[in-house]
Amino acid sequence: MADALPMRDTAHRKDAPWLTLKMREAMEAWLFISPTLAGFLIFFVGPLIAVVWYSLTEWNLLTQQATFVGLDNYNDALFRNPDFWHVIRNSVVFASGLVPLNMALALALALALSRPFRGVVIFRTVFFAPVVTSAVAWAIVWKFLLQGEAGFINQILALIGIDGPNWLREPNWAMVAVIVTRVIKMVGLNMILYIAALQAIPRDYEAAARLEGASGWQIFSWIIWPLLGPTTLVIMVITTIGSFKVFDHIYQMTGGGPENGTLVLAFYIYQQGFQFFDVGYASALAMIMFVVVMVLTLVQLALRRRDT
Amino acid sequence: MTSLTLSNVKKHFGKVDVIRGVDLSVEDGEFVVFVGPSGCGKSTLLRMISGLEDISSGELRIGHRIVNETPPARRGVAMVFQSYALYPHLNVRDNMGFGLKVRKVPAGERARRVGEAARTLKLEPLLDRFPRELSGGQRQRVAIGRAIVGNPEVFLFDEPLSNLDAELRVHMRSEIAALHKRLGNTMIYVTHDQIEAMTLADKIVVLREGLVEQVGTPRELYERPGNLFVAQFIGSPKMNILPIDAAAGAWPGRPAGAAHVGMRPEDLKLTDPGAGLIGGKVLLSEYTGASSLLHVELPGGEVFLVGCEGCAIDAGTAVGLTIAPDRLHFFDDAGRRAS
Amino acid sequence: MTASLTQRRVRILNQICWTLALCVVAIPFVFPFLWMVSSGFKSAAEIFGSPSLVPREWQWRNFVDVFNHQPFARQYFNSLYIAVIVTGLTLVLSSLAGYALARMRFAGAALVGLFLVSALMVPEEVTIIPNFFMMRWAGLVDTHWPLILLPTFGPHGIMATFLMRQFFLALPKELEDAGKMDGLSRLGVWWSIALPMSRPALAAVAIITFLNSWNLFLEPLIFVSSLEKFTLPLALSNFTDPYGMPLWHLQLAATSLAVVPILVVYIIAQRQIIESFALSGVKG
Repeated sequence: MADALPMRDTAHRKDAPWLTLKMREAMEAWLFISPTLAGFLIFFVGPLIAVVWYSLTEWNLLTQQATFVGLDNYNDALFRNPDFWHVIRNSVVFASGLVPLNMALALALALALSRPFRGVVIFRTVFFAPVVTSAVAWAIVWKFLLQGEAGFINQILALIGIDGPNWLREPNWAMVAVIVTRVIKMVGLNMILYIAALQAIPRDYEAAARLEGASGWQIFSWIIWPLLGPTTLVIMVITTIGSFKVFDHIYQMTGGGPENGTLVLAFYIYQQGFQFFDVGYASALAMIMFVVVMVLTLVQLALRRRDT
Repeated sequence: MTSLTLSNVKKHFGKVDVIRGVDLSVEDGEFVVFVGPSGCGKSTLLRMISGLEDISSGELRIGHRIVNETPPARRGVAMVFQSYALYPHLNVRDNMGFGLKVRKVPAGERARRVGEAARTLKLEPLLDRFPRELSGGQRQRVAIGRAIVGNPEVFLFDEPLSNLDAELRVHMRSEIAALHKRLGNTMIYVTHDQIEAMTLADKIVVLREGLVEQVGTPRELYERPGNLFVAQFIGSPKMNILPIDAAAGAWPGRPAGAAHVGMRPEDLKLTDPGAGLIGGKVLLSEYTGASSLLHVELPGGEVFLVGCEGCAIDAGTAVGLTIAPDRLHFFDDAGRRAS
Repeated sequence: MTASLTQRRVRILNQICWTLALCVVAIPFVFPFLWMVSSGFKSAAEIFGSPSLVPREWQWRNFVDVFNHQPFARQYFNSLYIAVIVTGLTLVLSSLAGYALARMRFAGAALVGLFLVSALMVPEEVTIIPNFFMMRWAGLVDTHWPLILLPTFGPHGIMATFLMRQFFLALPKELEDAGKMDGLSRLGVWWSIALPMSRPALAAVAIITFLNSWNLFLEPLIFVSSLEKFTLPLALSNFTDPYGMPLWHLQLAATSLAVVPILVVYIIAQRQIIESFALSGVKG
């Protein structure tokens, strides 16, 4: 036991007295975080500042010169260009169709699948499968299924005597189609969040309520639903923000059409910026989207805080 | 081997002072126990000695070196953690040898030292097991083994027995005491259990709210507690305290300025009602086998705990209490021992 | 006895009804996959012919033509290698930064955390225009760099960082202290103690990052223009005749090739994958 550790011989040399333990820890922490932070500044903060500047300018495509035009682009969007309000309307319709449908279906599936029975894993796997599938692939297949007369869905409808619409060629039906197919694609995600929340509720609550003679519906509405409150809010935030970001799905299925019937904000930004090269206007739209998403998030966070 | 000195050591997290100035010297080979209620700063102080927490101000010496800014692994200390902190993905052998491996000790030397420590602690049959396959006591022993293998100058124990059941705790306590006797290293041990402190320590340091209340041998703390806090913290069941003015009668040997008198339950003797120093009525008698613990209500409403062996007294009985005069503890207004 | 038997019958019947109802609901979830694969085997003539799941004639040729129509193998490989690089980078960077945020004390830690978390609220569409000009300035348009850099450092990478941070916070700290006592450096503690104990979180980050990159669409659409640099989602929408009308049989064959391997892995590892999403959803 007399042999000392080798490290002790060198201890005096290596102590680095000019660096305190606290400073050393802080230095190491900054080193750990610096790649992420640097990338964040370059690819996120910088562009976020730039987009504010862009939105106040008019770009000349030929000379690549930017001229400061103040709030003109915002003016265009909010007061001059009727497309903008049409796009906002579409986005709101899309979100207010998608969010409730998605959440209601997710909750129903979660309630059905939150406790074990034979085949529960299979059902969970099935309902979640579209989530891992690429949105483009999903949209391609559905676009195929929803073709006019020759499409599979309409052929099936014809068998039972229904003359199905040309889903993706009529503005209102196209909107319904993108909402429904998007819900089927994404509902699995909310379903598993609800399942996790349901499984975290102690079974004793339900047992106690049953002993007191509560019906299934009463147990749900008085016990389970209130306890799911925080989860419901989180899901609502995620789903709402997600619905404003939907791009690939609509790009593939309808290309924003027909007659701009499914032209939503994310798509409109892409179209103005990268198809029409109206950088200033597209940047103003991006800022508006930023504000909309921010406000929605903050409102929902505030609701959450009030509830807890 | 090594002594250890703390001079005016302080620690604050932001604006919160956790250690508010501690002076302490630990002699070479001494077994020192930090004890105190939870939140008193005893674990923080130990972690400052280990280097896991930095020292906000003051000076820490291990041997003759000032080690305030020395990284933990170069202080020549080893630590046994409350949760044992065994690496779950390594078996016992690799757990014990991990520190040596990090320090690039050659494999042969490593195996020799792990083997030696395993022999000392009777861990040889367990060397190839993983932590999850061990009982609490075995894990504890491996954690100690890991500390031994590094051959440190100072051992630090952070409440090492608090996760064990009562029986095992008594057993491991004696093993740690035996280990100290055999190795003779300086050891610092943190606990909130005063029985552990009393049985293990050469020297107890009682801490409260980041300050040292008293330092002394277990006997000194028990027989001459320096203040009301130590008086009530050391000893079980805890000392009865009575404000002096409230009690009638003369207190033999009462020094000037004494405001409180303390009597340990085990020092109090029962006599006939009215015959003793104080009297009261038995509220409750707790039978614990070898002895009983009486709850006696005094006329002023205070409840005294009185230990008595082999007595059978019903609730409601009036009793008198007496005590040897040299067993009275007096404290002044500020709670300090008055003599 | 009879009562309990009846009760059991009712329960079983109930269960059967539920299962049947779920099967009906499952149709729109399963059917597109089946139809996709089956149509991939049909000829251009048959594809809108009969609504039959089994092709009259199995057109294996479709799966050859897919590779003749455009450099599909190359595009497939692009998606794969980009996803692997993004996943690797994200794992390293997010676990390093997450560890510092969870475990190390430094002035400004809370501020940095708040700063980063704000990124989670901002959609990529907001910053994509300036990012495009930056990439063009750097000469990286029509390369794979934007497809690697933007997901790694964008909101997705930040999400991974916070997922790792949450996980590290829940690890027993004393193990890391033991590592420090044993002489490990910070990097050593991170590598040989924190990371080995974080396998579930690392797996979650890897799975979600891989899928995110694999399915990425907006960035490839904007940054990549040459066929041989396409990634899968971009390539899939490119099976058209000279008039721009989709060649459905090829498109669905290609889509099958892109989707089925992922689905197979998903079915094998469904538990792990679903848990990963649950973890990220709960934390993020």
